[in-house]
Amino acid sequence: MIYRIRHVTTYSYEATVASARCVLRLTPRDDAGQARLFGDVRVTPDARLREETCFFGARLHHAEIDTPHRELRIEARARVRITRTPPAVPAEDPAFEDVRAAAATGTSRAPDAPVHALFPSQAVPAAPEIAAWASASLPEGTGVFAGTRDLMRRIHAEFAYAPGETDVATPAREAFRARRGVCQDFAHVMIAGLRGLGLPARYVSGYLRTIPPEGRPRLVGADATHAWVEAWCGPDLGWIGFDPTNAALVGPDHIVLAVGRDYADVSPVDGVVISSGGQSLAVSVDVVPEEEERGA
Amino acid sequence: MTALTRAQARELIHGLSHWTQGYAPLPGAADELIGPDGTPRPAWARLARALGPMSPGDLARGFGSAERHIREVGISYRVHGEAADRAWPVAHLPIVIDAAEWKAIAAGVAQRARLMEALLAEIHAGGAAPDGAPPAAAIVGSPNYLRPLVGVAPPGGRHLSLYAVDIGRGPDGRWWVLNDRTQAPSGAGYALENRIVLSRVYPALMERLRVQRLAPFFAAFRDGLAALGAREDPRIGLLTPGPYSETYFEQATLARYLGLPLVEGDDLVARDGSVYVRTVSGLKRIDVLWRRVDGDYCDPLALDARSRLGVPGLVAALRAGGVAMANMPGAGAVEQPALMGFMALQCRRLLGEDPLLPNIATWWCGEPVAREEALARLETLAFADAFVPGPSTLGAELDAQGRAALAARIRTRGVDVVGQEVVRLSTTPVWRDGTLEPRPFSLRVYAAATPSGWQVMPGGFARIAERPDARAVSMGEGTLSADVWVLADAPVARVSLVPQERIRRVSGHLPSRAADNLFWLGRYLERAEATTRLVAALAAARLEGGEGGPGDETVARLEGLIRALGAVPDDEEDAESADGEGGGGREAAAVSLVAALPARDIARTALDDAAAPGSVAAAIASARRAASHLRDRLAPQAWRLVSELSPGAPAGEDEIASPADTLDRAQALLERFAAIAGLVHENMTRSDGWRLLDMGRRIERGLAACRVTGALAGAGATSGDLDALLDIVDCQITYRTRYLFGPAPAPVRDLALIDPNSPRSLAFQAERILEHVRALPALREDGLPEPPERLAATLARGLAIADAATIDAPALAAFEADLADLADAIGARYFPHGAAAERPEKLSGLA
Repeated sequence: MIYRIRHVTTYSYEATVASARCVLRLTPRDDAGQARLFGDVRVTPDARLREETCFFGARLHHAEIDTPHRELRIEARARVRITRTPPAVPAEDPAFEDVRAAAATGTSRAPDAPVHALFPSQAVPAAPEIAAWASASLPEGTGVFAGTRDLMRRIHAEFAYAPGETDVATPAREAFRARRGVCQDFAHVMIAGLRGLGLPARYVSGYLRTIPPEGRPRLVGADATHAWVEAWCGPDLGWIGFDPTNAALVGPDHIVLAVGRDYADVSPVDGVVISSGGQSLAVSVDVVPEEEERGA
Repeated sequence: MTALTRAQARELIHGLSHWTQGYAPLPGAADELIGPDGTPRPAWARLARALGPMSPGDLARGFGSAERHIREVGISYRVHGEAADRAWPVAHLPIVIDAAEWKAIAAGVAQRARLMEALLAEIHAGGAAPDGAPPAAAIVGSPNYLRPLVGVAPPGGRHLSLYAVDIGRGPDGRWWVLNDRTQAPSGAGYALENRIVLSRVYPALMERLRVQRLAPFFAAFRDGLAALGAREDPRIGLLTPGPYSETYFEQATLARYLGLPLVEGDDLVARDGSVYVRTVSGLKRIDVLWRRVDGDYCDPLALDARSRLGVPGLVAALRAGGVAMANMPGAGAVEQPALMGFMALQCRRLLGEDPLLPNIATWWCGEPVAREEALARLETLAFADAFVPGPSTLGAELDAQGRAALAARIRTRGVDVVGQEVVRLSTTPVWRDGTLEPRPFSLRVYAAATPSGWQVMPGGFARIAERPDARAVSMGEGTLSADVWVLADAPVARVSLVPQERIRRVSGHLPSRAADNLFWLGRYLERAEATTRLVAALAAARLEGGEGGPGDETVARLEGLIRALGAVPDDEEDAESADGEGGGGREAAAVSLVAALPARDIARTALDDAAAPGSVAAAIASARRAASHLRDRLAPQAWRLVSELSPGAPAGEDEIASPADTLDRAQALLERFAAIAGLVHENMTRSDGWRLLDMGRRIERGLAACRVTGALAGAGATSGDLDALLDIVDCQITYRTRYLFGPAPAPVRDLALIDPNSPRSLAFQAERILEHVRALPALREDGLPEPPERLAATLARGLAIADAATIDAPALAAFEADLADLADAIGARYFPHGAAAERPEKLSGLA
């Protein structure tokens, strides 16, 4: 399946901004499950752009803007072929205690090594209450895949999807207490639960193909960014994607933008501006399968 | 340090036998004074012998002088979570170590520094971990492990330029490593200050004992920093988190001592792979940054986006090799206790050497074997966070429930926990209530990477616990620090940090932020003084005129003026509005004649009420805040005068103070202001910094001249008003020598505004400002005047042709507006973000 993605971010400022320094993580990842056929980022006003590959393998752009402006528009376009299929339930599911020991004792510090997803991080600090809650899914001797899938399903079953009630800065503990939130909150809660039990879990940002209701056209710009979790299931199974928002294993409808320890590692736009006024933000995302485009 | 009585001093120097008499080392711990054989160690015997000839008077005088130094220099530190600095607690006696023992310590510290550098290089090279490398989790678990720095070759070739290690002597007499510090080690400046303090107490003694000097170490460290720079004669700065940092005093001390500018993140701009300092002469490239900001706070773009202390783009500049840092961000990734248990092995693997200095036995519970051992020894070990420094828990002190919880934590997330052997630290004698008592201590030792290898500071920063049973010592309440004397075998060369350099008469480029703070320091000091003058005038008018007398009008005008300056809290402005006084803001020049007599004492409120933004107390607080950012630039005496400024305690708790008391306090305060102004005038180099400070003062004084003239010398001014105005602008004598008649409006206005020879006139201020902006660096290459110069020249010209007889309220308002425009233009031209001094704001949002 090939997707065309258009992701437009617009900041409007009350006062003129003299200069801005941004990091843009808007180019989909190129890895075993997906091939990036095309990727391009444009910034208005004109910016000095520098490309870089981050530690976890995402392609990012540094933008330096020294033109005074009242509006900053970032448009990212990409074309991605997804070859990923949802994983089959593994025949051999290692006990989570063995996975835990393997994660702690490995010497690899390579970007894909489980160790990077093992410790508390900025947006997912240690949360013993979440770990205690998660442990019901992983009693002694449980297979790591089975236990993780159970945790994902419990989040889906017990948490309410409540857009607009949380924001990018909502701590996992708060969403956990309220049992409400959006994809980012569910991912953070699941990561906190797994890490609390000594299991590596990381954050994935990306897009999910949306299928319009039968007989209705797809609304332009109505798609959104999505977030889910990858759990490390031992040296043989490696990383497996779990989507707690949909209680689904990650498959061909998921397009990966970036992976990191939590949202702070992968936030699509980050930066500082010199300004005295407030700002507002508008985002529009389109994820269109190419066949659909041709058919339209 | 508390001063010693002569009797106490006599006891202290009574000789060795007296010292050791009644001094009992603690059982189970080694002691510095008394060796393992029960007799005094030789180095201490030398100290006691050398103290012998000192007279009690000498010693008491010495302690007094040390006390004074601490007070005058303002040596201080801040306990986390406290707003105010604490005075520095330094012990009367140094810790003394002989040359042979020190040589072994220094060799061990230098070796460990090399090991840390090798480990950091391997971690940041980013390749596959070689055989024998520590478990990845013991490294990656550190919050100081910074992924964006992996694969970045450190500019200048090293990750570590300054390494520190806490050591302590165990019961077996050996020195053990307790902690490593590779992030941004603190305390070297305190070691320096302790040395300066003790050299006041024992000036001759240090030479006689051949105490090794610290200056060569700092000189070598500075050479090491310079060697990191890519350019000849590199520009080096100390990157500080600012005055709210716990160790800001120390940073300012080191910056001054090493001759480095203290820069905050806001001072710097990263652009196209290089880093620049914002100065009044434009952007100037900086080559090396000595970092005291935590690694992950260095760059909000590449690292922790929450940081307000860093420089966006700094990591990109490091990657491009455009700037070098000491230590590199990420250097903190090897200081965690989790790694301690692996160090001996790593020393053999990376250096091919056995460790010279052992570290305390440590079990990192991420490793199954170590975890089981630690669990088996739950009752005898101390347990601590494997990555985050903090207090440890003694297994022995936990109850059954506590132990079960600890064991569960270790089983679930053993990676977060270390078990450590409990070491009883050796004790050193401290002076307590007239006797010597043993107290445990730890010693921080510093190593600097220099062009000729690692050099270890002969001495260090010792911290002595207040209680005899402390295991680990941190600088907190009730902790003493001590100087450390390493005795040399041969006489010590006198070296101090006096490099041979060519003569210079320029002081380098003034950073824009320092310019900003100097300007506002000048403004706030002058604002405080101007308001104090009004308060004095008001109190004097009250004192002279009785109720209902002719002085009432002057009192009312002065009160109205003080209110208009915002020197009384808002809640009292209601009365003013009722009188038809619109707004009553600080900028208002016209003042109503009819201000209802308030219930509160306006003069006293204007002095004391910091809640009112225009009060003397508020202006002083603001001046102090500006000065606190300038501690590397202000002479200690100037800092002390500013930090001790205060309106003074009110005479009583009454709402209404007697005018005489208020007048006394105002006059005492005016003398303090005069002392500061005198210090600035007589002692400050005529640098760009002085010009900024003076411009701030001139702007504020000019504004005050407009306001008081408007209020007291306008249409309908009484002779009492004019008299008060002459007092406020200090022109009584001049007026009397020039005019035979009493005060008349036009001549008084001439003195207050237009006479260029009167140092408080508006014209005088305008001419000084014009001189300053002409002397300050220009950025334009075409030689045309910049906006501040153009505005200052316009104002000066306008005043040169003005006529005191015809100056009315609109003309005054126009002058005041010109001054405000000039102040804005100065801000826009010289300050980091222009006049509005905006802070960078975060741009974020789930996009």
